[in-house]
Amino acid sequence: MNSVGEECTDMKRDYDQCFNRWFAEKFLKGAGSGDPCTELFRRYRECVQKAIKDKDIPVDGVDFMGPSKSKTESDGSS
Amino acid sequence: MRIWSSEHVFSHPWDTVIKAAMRKYPNPMNPCVVGVDVVDRNLDSQGRLHSQRLLCTEWGLPSLVRAILGTSRTLTYIKEHSVVDPVEKKMVLCSTNISLTNLVSVDERLVYTPHPENPEQTVLTQEAIITVKGVSLSSYLEGLMASTISSNARKGWDAIEWIIQNSESTVS
Repeated sequence: MNSVGEECTDMKRDYDQCFNRWFAEKFLKGAGSGDPCTELFRRYRECVQKAIKDKDIPVDGVDFMGPSKSKTESDGSS
Repeated sequence: MRIWSSEHVFSHPWDTVIKAAMRKYPNPMNPCVVGVDVVDRNLDSQGRLHSQRLLCTEWGLPSLVRAILGTSRTLTYIKEHSVVDPVEKKMVLCSTNISLTNLVSVDERLVYTPHPENPEQTVLTQEAIITVKGVSLSSYLEGLMASTISSNARKGWDAIEWIIQNSESTVS
């Protein structure tokens, strides 16, 4: 499966593979703490956020299941 | 506005179905889903996993409808929020379109829970609310969307089965 940003697809696949393993082997078995995929996710998400912006996809401002919290928490850090 | 709902029982335990649901795309039954991204994901204080995903789909709208809607754009983005509770064994997934919103909104809600009497089975309840806006043929279009959702739901069930059959040798 591709990413909306072609340049992010490889990062997405690496992350998905890491996540699917953690989800199946740890999370569903009640050992969800210590997600090992955070670094892969950070890089992949950065790429996707940029693609979303470049393609002008209106991801913000859509509320469902409560207030949307899709903003990056890392804003303003570092 | 039209409300569509349905219930489906998978002959697989909840864990198996959820694993498949989380990695549902790509599958041969939903070729219209051309892109999937996770835009945010976190664990809440109760240990539930929240995922915000962005889906890019190619809606197979008939050309007549495209003409009525006055758009040639068939690439539609959908935002999806899912919550997986591994303790309660419940997955809730809500989705809504974020493009073409001035024309139509399709809000879907899916809930996966273990069958109350048989832990080897999983119940999926799903509902969709379809609203076509400002178009004189809106009830016709809502009917059309409802039948599309109906057939997509069936494809979705088949997709989960397909993933379960085809992923046992990969991750597990």
